[in-house]
Amino acid sequence: MGRYIIRRLLWVVLVVILVTFFTFVIFFVMPPVDPAILFAGRAPSERLIAQVRESLGLDKPFFVQYGLFLKHIFLGDQYGWPGFGMSFVTRSPIRENFLGRAFVTTQLAAGAAVIWLIMGISIGIISALKRGKWQDRLAMGFALFGVSAPVFWLGLMALYLFWEKLHWLPGTGYVPFGEDPSQWFLHFLLPWVVLALLFAAFYARMVRGSLLDSFGQDWIRTARAKGLPERKVVYKHGLRASLTPVVSMFGVDLGTLLGGAIITETVFNLPGLGTYVVRSVANGDIPVIMDVVVFGGMAVALMSLVADILYAFLDPRVRYT
Amino acid sequence: MKKRTIGALALVLAFALVVAACGDDEGETTTTAAPTTTAPEGTTTVPTTGGGTYRMETDGIAYTGGGDPTGEYLGISWGILSNLLSRTLLTYYHTDGALGNTLVPDLAADFPEISEDGLTYTFTLKDGIMFGPPLSREITSADIEYAFRRMATEGIVAQYLFYYEGLIEGLELSTDMPDDISGIETPDDKTIIFHLTRISPDFIYLVAMPATTPMPEEVAGCFMEAGTYGRYVVSSGPYMYEGSDALDASSCEALVASGPISGFDPEDHSYFVRNPDYDPATDDPAVRANHVDRINIDLNTNVQDIFAKIRAGELDGTVSSGNPPADVLAAYSSDPELQDRLVSGVDDRTMYITMNLAAPPFDDIHVRKAVNLIMDKAGMQQAWGGEISGAIATHIQPPNLAGLGAEYDPYATEGYRGNLELAQAEMALSRYDTDGDGMCDAPECSGVILVNRTTTPWLETEPVVVASLALIGIEVQAQELENHYTVIQTVANLTPMGMNPGWGKDYPDSSSFAGFLFDGRNIIPEGNTNYSLVGLSEVQAAELGVPWPADGIPSVDADIDNCKQIALTDTQGGLDCWNDLDRTLMEEVVPWVPYLWLNVITTIGPAVTNWDYDQFAGVTAFSKVAVDPSLQG
Amino acid sequence: MISLTRPEPTDRNEVILDVRNLRVHFPTPDGLVKAVDGISFQIRRGETIGVVGESGSGKSVSFLTVMGLVSSREAHIEGEIIFKGRDLLKLPQEETRHLRGKEMGMVFQDPMTSLHPMYRIGTQIAEAVLTHEHTSKKAAMKLAVEMLGRVGISKPEESARRYPHEFSGGMRQRAMIAMALILNPDLLIADEPTTALDVTVQAQILDLLDRLKADFNAAVAVITHDLGVVAEHCDRIQVMYAGRIVETGHSQVIYYRSRHPYTWGLLQSIPRLDAEEMHRLRPIEGLPPSLIFVPPGCAFHPRCPYVMDVCRTEVPELGPAHAFNASACHLPAEEKDRIFSQILAERG
Repeated sequence: MGRYIIRRLLWVVLVVILVTFFTFVIFFVMPPVDPAILFAGRAPSERLIAQVRESLGLDKPFFVQYGLFLKHIFLGDQYGWPGFGMSFVTRSPIRENFLGRAFVTTQLAAGAAVIWLIMGISIGIISALKRGKWQDRLAMGFALFGVSAPVFWLGLMALYLFWEKLHWLPGTGYVPFGEDPSQWFLHFLLPWVVLALLFAAFYARMVRGSLLDSFGQDWIRTARAKGLPERKVVYKHGLRASLTPVVSMFGVDLGTLLGGAIITETVFNLPGLGTYVVRSVANGDIPVIMDVVVFGGMAVALMSLVADILYAFLDPRVRYT
Repeated sequence: MKKRTIGALALVLAFALVVAACGDDEGETTTTAAPTTTAPEGTTTVPTTGGGTYRMETDGIAYTGGGDPTGEYLGISWGILSNLLSRTLLTYYHTDGALGNTLVPDLAADFPEISEDGLTYTFTLKDGIMFGPPLSREITSADIEYAFRRMATEGIVAQYLFYYEGLIEGLELSTDMPDDISGIETPDDKTIIFHLTRISPDFIYLVAMPATTPMPEEVAGCFMEAGTYGRYVVSSGPYMYEGSDALDASSCEALVASGPISGFDPEDHSYFVRNPDYDPATDDPAVRANHVDRINIDLNTNVQDIFAKIRAGELDGTVSSGNPPADVLAAYSSDPELQDRLVSGVDDRTMYITMNLAAPPFDDIHVRKAVNLIMDKAGMQQAWGGEISGAIATHIQPPNLAGLGAEYDPYATEGYRGNLELAQAEMALSRYDTDGDGMCDAPECSGVILVNRTTTPWLETEPVVVASLALIGIEVQAQELENHYTVIQTVANLTPMGMNPGWGKDYPDSSSFAGFLFDGRNIIPEGNTNYSLVGLSEVQAAELGVPWPADGIPSVDADIDNCKQIALTDTQGGLDCWNDLDRTLMEEVVPWVPYLWLNVITTIGPAVTNWDYDQFAGVTAFSKVAVDPSLQG
Repeated sequence: MISLTRPEPTDRNEVILDVRNLRVHFPTPDGLVKAVDGISFQIRRGETIGVVGESGSGKSVSFLTVMGLVSSREAHIEGEIIFKGRDLLKLPQEETRHLRGKEMGMVFQDPMTSLHPMYRIGTQIAEAVLTHEHTSKKAAMKLAVEMLGRVGISKPEESARRYPHEFSGGMRQRAMIAMALILNPDLLIADEPTTALDVTVQAQILDLLDRLKADFNAAVAVITHDLGVVAEHCDRIQVMYAGRIVETGHSQVIYYRSRHPYTWGLLQSIPRLDAEEMHRLRPIEGLPPSLIFVPPGCAFHPRCPYVMDVCRTEVPELGPAHAFNASACHLPAEEKDRIFSQILAERG
C-alpha cells in the first residue's frame, strides 16, 4: 500500500506540472488581456508598456518565466516557501492573501460537503426504499430542481428571501470564527446550503441508483436467506456496496471545490479562492491565476488519491492493483 | 418516469411563479424622465453631527499602479489620493460644476509667481504642513522634488510621465533614480522653483495631479519597484490608512517587517482614519471638509448586494465603476422617498462611436457625415438608462472643458432622432453609394465590424446603433469583446468602428482632451488612443501597415499646435481656438459620432447627511461626505 | 426388468416440508405470470430430492417461496407450506425470518455474486450465527471456522479472514454451504449449486452435500436443470414443467421406468461419454411455454410427440404427493412403458 501511495503522489506532482504548463501557455500565448497594457493605464505609450512589462517580469522569454514559476513553487522565493510570487495588482507577496482565502474556501467547501453528504445519502436511501411511491417522486423532484436550478439564482433568491425580506439571516460577507462564532455560522449557513443543494441532488440520484442496483445483487438475497432483519440487509449489505461510487465522486467534487467555489463565493461575497481567481482573470493578475491553478490542481489530484485509498479500503477487490 | 418528470417540472414552475410574483413589487421597470440630483454648487460646509464612519463597498478597487501615487492613473484612485492622502501644490475644490474644476492653493501658500518669459514657476510652501504617521514630520520642498525624481525612474512606472518629461528641464526617464533634477530648484525647505523648457499655461494643472504629491524619501526610497510603495504611503492629507502608525520607519528592513499597512489591502479593503498630524488651519473647509472620522471601502463581489445594502442603510455609498444596475435606477427614480438618494455629477467625459479614417467605408467623409446624421442619439440615451445617465453629446469636448455647450450641434435633427432624408442626401454624395439612392451599397458597406463591450449599458445600446446604420445601408457585424480596448488600440487591426470608447479629461484643459486624442504624432502601434487615426501621415501608415486611403487622411496637428501657442498668453483666445478645433473636427474631419456626455450616478444611504461630487476626479468627494451615525443600520 | 436396488430408508421418516397446492402468481404489466401453478410435494428428514426442469419451470420460485424470499407484495401466493407442522404462509414475517437461516438454509447458484464482496468469508458466516443466537462475536467466528473445516476448506482459520474474490468457485460454494448449514437447519435447499462450477468440482460439492446431510440429519432439495447431475445423489426426483410437477418418484424409477414424455425428452438430451459415435442428442422440440398464456390442458402438449386430443383440453392429474412414481400424463400406463423401453434400447 505504501508503494502505491508514493507512486500516486508522484503522479499528483506530474499532473500539477502539466496543468500549470497548459495554463501558462494559455495566459501567455493567447491572453485575454495583455497585463502590460492593462497595468500601463489610460494612455499607454510603447515606452510605458515596455516599462510595465519589465517591472512585471513579462519581458523574459516564455520558458524562463515558466521555469522561474516552477522553481518558486518548489523551492520558495524571497517571501518564503512555497513561493507564491508577487501579485501584479497589489505589488506585494501573494502568500499573505492566498492562505487566508484558501482557508475561507476550505470552510465553505467542508461545511457544504457535510450537508450534501448527509442530505444526499439520506434522500437517496429513502428514495430507493420507497421506490415508486410518493416519497420517491418527491425526492427525485427535489433532485431535478437541485440539479437544474442555477447556483447564482438560488443564492440570490435565498438572500432576497431570508435576508432582505424576512431578516432571518445576516447578509453577505465573511465573519471569522474567532471573531464571532454565531455570526460566523449564520453567515455561512446560506452559502453552505445553496452550494450543498446542487451536490445533494446529484448524490441523492446516484445513491438511489446505486442502492437499487445493489438490491438487485445476489448477495442481498443471500443475506435475506440467512434471516437477517431487513434493516441490516439494507444498511449493512446494500448500502455498503453502493457507497463506493459516492466515495469516488466525493473526492473529485471536494477537490474541485477546494480550488474555489466561484459562483457561491461571488454571490455571497466570501473572500475565498473563487472570487480571488475570477478577479485576477479580469485584472490580468497572472501570478495569482497560476497559484490558484496549482492549488486547485493539487487539491483535485490529492483528493482523488484519498478517495481512491478510501475506495480500496471499502472494496477489497481493488486493493493492490 | 414521465409522471415523475412532469411532477417535478410543475414544482419548479410553481416555485418560479411564486418567486416572480413576490419579486417585482416596485412597479414598472421602464425609466421615465427622472431628475438628476446634483449637489448645489459651492455648498460644501453643512453643519452635521460630525464624526462617524462613511461605509462603502465596491466590486473592485482596480488599482493599476498598486495605489502608488507615482503610478496611479485612475479616477477612483485620484479621488482617494487627492481628497484624503496626497496633498499637492495646488488642488481643486472637490465639488461639482465649474468650481470643482477650479484650482486652489493646497500645499503652496499661494498661486505661483511666474517669470516674465513664462518659463519659471516659483512656489512657496505653507507652514505647518506635515507628513502623518509613522513620520510625523514637516513636508519640505525636497520631498516634492523627490516625487519628480521617482517619476523619472524607469522601474517605478509613472503612467503619465509624458506630461512632465521634456517640459521640466532635466526631467527625463532613466534606469536609475536621478539624484536631482536640474530644472527643479529647492533653495530652502519652503521654496520650490520649476524651470520649463517652453511656455506651458497648463503647467498649473500638472502640479495638481497626484504623482506630484510630496513623498518622504526615507520611506518611499525603500520601494523602488512599480506599485510597491502603494501599501506604505505616508499621508500628507486629512486622512491616512488605518494602521499607518504601526509602521516602523527606522530602516527599510524595519518598514517591510512592520508592514504593509493593515488598513490597505488592494484585494480586500481600504480603511481611512484621521491623520493626527494634519492641521486643518493649513487647509480650507471649502476644499476639504473632513466631516467623518473614518472611511471604509470594502470589497463585495456581488454588485446587487451592494446596492441592496445601501438601500437598507447598511452602507452609505459605493465607488463602483459604472452606474447602478437598471433595476436600482428604476426603483430610486420612481420612489419619491428614494429620489434624493440618487445622486450624480457630470463626468466631463464623452462617450462616442469612433470611425477609422483608413478603413472603408469610413475613409469617405460623406459616409461619416451620413452616420452622424442618421444616428438615433435619443434612442441611445434611452437605452443607456435615460436622461439620468447624461446629456446627449453634440460635439467632441464636454462643455465644461472649453465652454462650448450643446447649443453647437452641427448634425442637429429633430429630437436627436436622426434624419433619414438628410442622411441619405449626404450618403448619395459618397462613392460607396454607387447608384446615388442614399443607401450605401458597395461591397464595403456590409460586414462592417463594430467593436463593443460585453457589459451593460453598451450591450443594450448596440441595437440602436445597428438599426440606425442599417437605415443608410451599412450592415454592421457587431463584436462584443472582453478585450475591446486592446483590439481598437492595436492599429494593425484596422478596426473600422467601435462604440466602446469614452474619454474623460485628465485635467480641465483641452490639451489633455482634443489636443491629445487627435494629434497624429501620438499614434503608436499598440495602446494607441487616436482610434480614428486622425493626422496619420503616409510614412506612418507605411510603417504601421495601414493601407493609405485614396483621399488621404486629414490632419489637425497644426491647429493643435496653434491653440497651444495661443493659450500660452491668452486664456480666452486659447479657449476660442480649442472650440474652433472642435468645430473643425466635427465638420471637416468627422472622426466620431459623439453620443453622450456622461453623468456619474450613484446611490447613497439614508444616513448620509452630506454628499458632494468631485468634478476633477469624477467620483464621490470623499473629503466632503458626512453621516449621521444614529441613522446607520 | 428393472430391479430396484436402492433402499428407501426415508419413507417412514418425519415429513419436514409438506407443500400443498402451492400457487405463486406474479402480476406484471404484460399479464399474470403463473410461475408456480398448483404443486404439492413432501420432503422427509434424511431425504434428498432433486427438482428438475428447464428455466421457467417454477422450480426456483417454489423454493424461494418456501424460504419466504418471495413477498406477498410482489406475488399472489396460495396454498400451504407446512414446515415441521406449521403453515409458513399463515405466520407473520418476523417469525418466518427467525426460521430462515436457522431451521432452513439455502445455497444459491453463483457463489461469486452470492457472497458479499466486501466482507470477509468468516465474518459473513459468523453473521448467520449472530443473527439467530445470542453469542459473542468470538464464539460465532470460532464456529464459522469450524464449519469451514467441515466443508473441506483447508486452513480454515486463514481462509476465514479472506475475501470471496480470493477463493476459487468451488471453495466459495463450500463456504456458502457452510453458511447455510452452520446452525444445523432441518432443510437445506440448494438452487443449482453446481451449475457455475467445473465438472470435476461438481461431484465434490454433491458428495459434500450428501455427507453433511447425513451428519446433520437434514432434508435436502437440490434444484437443477440437469438430470445427469442428480443421478447418484438424490433419493427422489421431481420433474417440473410450466409451473407444475409432471412426474415424481424414486430416482431409480425415474431413470429406469419414467412415465412422462417430458422426462423422456430430458433423458434423451443428456450427453453420455459412452454413447456410440452415431448417436445424436435429441433435443426436445419447441420452446418452453409462456407462463402468462399457459397452453390449455396439458401444458406440454404442443411439444409432445405422443399428443392425443384429450391432452389439449384436460389437465392431467399427478397423483399422490409421495408416491413411488406418479406422472401427470394422459397416456395409458402400458403405452408409457412400451415407449420408454424403446427409448432405453436406443440409448444402449
